[in-house]
Amino acid sequence: MMKEPFIHTKDLCYSYSDENGLQQPVLRGITLDIAKGEYVAILGHNGSGKSTLAKLFNMILEPDSGELFVAGQDLTSPTLTEDDFYALRRQVGMVFQNPDNQLVATIVEDDVAFGPENLGVPSAEIRARVDAALATVGMTSYARHEPHRLSGGQKQRVAIAGILAMEPNCIILDEATAMLDPSGRKEVIETVEALNREKGITVLSITHYMNEAARADRVIVIDDGVVIMDGTPREVFADPARLLAAGLDVPQCTSLVHALRAEGVALEGDPVTVEECADLICRALEVI
Amino acid sequence: MAVLTLEHVSYIYGEGTPFEIRALDDVSLSVREGTVTGIIGHTGSGKSTMVQLFNGLEKPTAGRVLLDGKDIWAEPKKMRDIRFRVGLVMQYPEYQLFEETIRADIAFGPRNMGLTEEEISRRTKEAAAFVGLEEALLDRSPFELSGGQKRRAAIAGIMAMRPEILVLDEPAAGLDPRGRDAILEGIRAYGKETGSTVIIVSHSMEDMAAYCDDIVVMAQAKVCLSGTRDEVFANAKRLTDVGLDVPQITHLMMKLRARGVAVPEGIYTVEAASAALRKLFGKGHTV
Repeated sequence: MMKEPFIHTKDLCYSYSDENGLQQPVLRGITLDIAKGEYVAILGHNGSGKSTLAKLFNMILEPDSGELFVAGQDLTSPTLTEDDFYALRRQVGMVFQNPDNQLVATIVEDDVAFGPENLGVPSAEIRARVDAALATVGMTSYARHEPHRLSGGQKQRVAIAGILAMEPNCIILDEATAMLDPSGRKEVIETVEALNREKGITVLSITHYMNEAARADRVIVIDDGVVIMDGTPREVFADPARLLAAGLDVPQCTSLVHALRAEGVALEGDPVTVEECADLICRALEVI
Repeated sequence: MAVLTLEHVSYIYGEGTPFEIRALDDVSLSVREGTVTGIIGHTGSGKSTMVQLFNGLEKPTAGRVLLDGKDIWAEPKKMRDIRFRVGLVMQYPEYQLFEETIRADIAFGPRNMGLTEEEISRRTKEAAAFVGLEEALLDRSPFELSGGQKRRAAIAGIMAMRPEILVLDEPAAGLDPRGRDAILEGIRAYGKETGSTVIIVSHSMEDMAAYCDDIVVMAQAKVCLSGTRDEVFANAKRLTDVGLDVPQITHLMMKLRARGVAVPEGIYTVEAASAALRKLFGKGHTV
């Protein structure tokens, strides 16, 4: 049993009302616990409810029913004040998909300072936080650059620095790498992984890239508003048929091992990365 | 036969200013008629500039763009016709829908071509079918559709003009695996059934490996590698040298070869990898 989950939900439900005023359920009873410091990937096809779930976690949306605790705070409590919302959003930062519409200032360091300024942090402290945040994401030399001249990966790293300057406990990436090229995607993923490893920040990464999900500690699969799979990448990718049925995919290495096994080749284990797969095949072929 | 050719094409942004950037540097290439051709490269490698040259949105600083052997800039007044023949779907085209219904949006292009109402209606239905949009959705407002459905509607709007060459800049970006496959299948079906040539710009080597006949690899404003899919993936090392991704399965095969496993070069699908490895596993390894 995990102690003190950072996020706890039980039977969490949410519906949108459509243009005819009818309630369209998006989340139909989500129950999960996410521990402090975990690195979790959330998978699901478009419309599965995964982004809605993320928006509940930092109170962009309010749940219809069910339990929702984030950082020890009961988000369904009727006594919750506006100050509580702000305190929560400071702790749970979100990075969105489009790198072009989340930067607000005309130079990079002003953008990073925007969050702490709004929190009323003293200016000397803001200076220190901005410098530290830019250093963490490797953007110090761009502090006085104009955001619109940066690459997509650099813009997302600035957005992450803006969150770091608020000293969060958790970062949620809502398909934050979807609009980036492979090198931009790598920059962002490596930045976030380092934050998780070195600063213990809880990371929830909503993604369509199976190879990205394979790098997380834990993968949660959402389909039609419920959690259908929850485990380590190895456990989740061990069932390709179920993932395909949910409109998803498995890494090519995992497909290969399944294909070989189906042809009668004895291979033990379910590799999810290239390295693991190469090791497995070399061991089986006795070429070490 | 080459349907579209670039002859020593260069394109310079901001020529003569301190911000001068050479986006394309003496590029020559030809696209074979009836193929699905992929263009891949880093951000800034010149891909998007290149597609804008294909239908005359940009004019080369030097060199010529030939469509069926004719310079598209020979008679600039006829550029409108060129744009009907070479249809360009830009990145994130779902932000460009503007009509009240999906049907009207798809019909916008064919109507501008001066076709009859009957023909417009036929083409609208046909294009919607290619991208897998159901008839029932066509009378809805774009606001009522999901992102993936809007993307399909925008692509159908170009298909409805029935261009001889359909050019798409990152058509599958940001979609989930099922949505990505549906769109790419639809695009391939358009090429096959109408005999048109399709050009896809993408960052995803795995999509290129699955859907393209020919591949052009761009690096630093030049073509660094081009040929059939087999030819390009036979040079997988060169792709990784310029910092491009190769499909995960190709990456695995390269690793295995480096460790002394005798798998051939040029493997880019799970099926081919499985077949190659199956041969290596002798009877002792099977159950």
